[in-house]
Amino acid sequence: MTKQQANWSPYDNNGGTCVAIAGADYCVIAADTRMSTGYSILTRDYSKIIQLADKSVMASSGFQADVRALQKVLAARHLIYQHQHNKQMSCPAMAQLLSNTLYFKRFFPYYAFNVLGGLDSEGKGCVFTYDAVGSYERVGYSAQGSGATLITPFLDNQLKSPSPLLLPAKDAVTPLSEIEAIDLVKTCFASATERDIYTGDKVEMLVLNASGIRREFMELRKD
Amino acid sequence: MMKIDFSGLDPYMPVKGNAEDLDDEILAAPSFKLPVTVDFDGFQKAAVQMVKPAKGTTTLAFIFKDGVMVAADSRASMGGYISSQSVKKIIEINPYMLGTMAGGAADCQFWHRNLGIKCRLHELANKRRISVAGASKLLANILYSYRGMGLSVGTMIAGWDENGPGLYYVDSEGGRLKGTRFSVGSGSPYAYGVLDSGYRFDLSVEEAAELARRAIYHATFRDGASGGVASVYHVGPSGWKKLSGDDVGELHYSYYPVEPTAVEQEMADVPIA
Amino acid sequence: MSRFEESAPARGGFSFDLCKRNEMLVQKGLKPSSYLKTGTTIVGLVFQDGVILGADTRATEGPIVADKNCEKIHYMAPNIYCCGAGTAADTEAVTDMVSSQLKLHRFHTGRESRVVTALTLLKSHLFSYQGHVSAALVLGGVDVTGPHLHTIYPHGSTDTLPFATMGSGSLAAMAIFESKYREGLTRDEGVKLVAEAICSGIFNDLGSGSNVDVCVITKGKREYLRNYMLPNPRTYVSEKGYSFSKKTEVLLTKITPLRELVEVIEGGDAMEE
Repeated sequence: MTKQQANWSPYDNNGGTCVAIAGADYCVIAADTRMSTGYSILTRDYSKIIQLADKSVMASSGFQADVRALQKVLAARHLIYQHQHNKQMSCPAMAQLLSNTLYFKRFFPYYAFNVLGGLDSEGKGCVFTYDAVGSYERVGYSAQGSGATLITPFLDNQLKSPSPLLLPAKDAVTPLSEIEAIDLVKTCFASATERDIYTGDKVEMLVLNASGIRREFMELRKD
Repeated sequence: MMKIDFSGLDPYMPVKGNAEDLDDEILAAPSFKLPVTVDFDGFQKAAVQMVKPAKGTTTLAFIFKDGVMVAADSRASMGGYISSQSVKKIIEINPYMLGTMAGGAADCQFWHRNLGIKCRLHELANKRRISVAGASKLLANILYSYRGMGLSVGTMIAGWDENGPGLYYVDSEGGRLKGTRFSVGSGSPYAYGVLDSGYRFDLSVEEAAELARRAIYHATFRDGASGGVASVYHVGPSGWKKLSGDDVGELHYSYYPVEPTAVEQEMADVPIA
Repeated sequence: MSRFEESAPARGGFSFDLCKRNEMLVQKGLKPSSYLKTGTTIVGLVFQDGVILGADTRATEGPIVADKNCEKIHYMAPNIYCCGAGTAADTEAVTDMVSSQLKLHRFHTGRESRVVTALTLLKSHLFSYQGHVSAALVLGGVDVTGPHLHTIYPHGSTDTLPFATMGSGSLAAMAIFESKYREGLTRDEGVKLVAEAICSGIFNDLGSGSNVDVCVITKGKREYLRNYMLPNPRTYVSEKGYSFSKKTEVLLTKITPLRELVEVIEGGDAMEE
């Protein structure tokens, strides 16, 4: 008898696009709210952004079940951290926690593509970008998910910030003002929605700055 | 009383099978989850596809009279798509030791971080710094224990210890080589070409840095999967120091300047007949 | 005489010699090249005095929108139109081919083409290629025997229906038809229903999108309503606009003028002003 095996995959791709931009004193994290599978839309109003700590926010696309599982693990780990240290985790600490959490599933990865945005201890905007198994780097801006290949070249063109590896070092955050950054994010999503079928419906934007967190929405094409 | 977290000491061996309890995931020392499947290799093969392999890299390191010179590019690509131009491929394990990154980005990053922890614990336990030989062996042993499970690491451990400069090549197939000159990654043939032709043991620090930079530049010039910024580090008796980080695009024009030639003929409208 | 002999030269036509080889290559892991697919919503219905066809205008290539405003309602004959779903090249080629066969047939007979003629030509062609020509069609027209609406599947089977949907959005569109279609619709009611069905496909099926095209065919008359509805305008345009700096230095503007190869001398004299 030939070997029988169900042709079943533990993964699905629910699409979606995430973008984050860091500035001198703010950070914008945005994601569309469409969740889909194959050619069907599952919901037009699903938030891909979660606040993990006071000053760190994560946006994730990929497989929703894995994303949810990851969010729950991080929330639990953060709760334990708060009990042990009596403070909120900093954004760079959360960044490394996320990296380790992803890597511990190296042989059965979370199908999740994340960007972590927030403010560091100096109040400067920071963005961390990840692959599915936890390789990460701090950058000035990042796009992840189904529309990333459309958005990244545009962001590179508009605000190619000096590489953080350069010596003498140059400031790696983007030179934009908060208003300009939000405007850029809106343009990114409106454009990605034109050409990526998995991006659309609405874009949710979280803005972190010294005065706290603000949430904004903008409508996108619904086809 | 607060419990001391000894998780850094754990050997991180994979736990096979039922590790599904939430307790396990959060409270216990972290251990690797494995998929419950009859065909682990097949699953692994499919899973590796979605993991970003930072394939396409040029890294190099060599020992000379004043220490070790380490250099790398900064590009990460997925097929034809450049997913990043700012990857930090030289990982600072501790002030006296550097690791380089070729192969899977996450694999290298994670295990070097892990090695950093182990090296620090060694220092605390023995009141002296770990030797480069020892550190590279720690890493090689871990990688060997995961052999055949799909890790992809090609790294060089460079540092300064009681015996002077040390340089080892370690990979995920279990190899560990001591040497004076290594280059790893898709651009390594090009880098070796420059390195071997320009290498002498008695290079000065400046000359050695320039040789390393040139080797990386020439590799990025010929290898499409390498590019970005050429970073050069030097490890001496007092630890490592970053010497330079140059955009290879700009490096090209400093090596091969294009002199604006005198305009021979201005573009003119074609006279209408 | 078979169709092949009359329509193709002796050694011409398609060769399927490589099908077996391609199958083997795919099994060995070769990725077949991607085609432009019109993951589509196409519909048609019969109303009081004719047939109405409708289509969306999105063409996709995997997850990327390749064309935001393509035409999916193809001309077959002055009184017959055909909506196509599937591989864009196949639907276009097959409708063009049958369209010219119909025209030749009209020259032969001097009569208006019938819908069944088009139907038979299409299905026999598709059947002979055993589904390898991936065209799913909705064929509609009005001829001497009245209004007709058919669906044709890639393998060559056909249906004759009062209302029909095809493509990836067929279920979404059919939901509208099944709940609202009735016999004896007026033209305006029909067009409204078709547009609603297409919109249902546009909004609920990711393979369909952008605008609505409608074609109304009645006895001796047709109205092609291109972009009948535009339900998906861009939602945001930045006020300041975006500039894309050139960042290019002019290093060289040497122009070598083309030399006249032939000098034309008329009569050997210089031309007078």
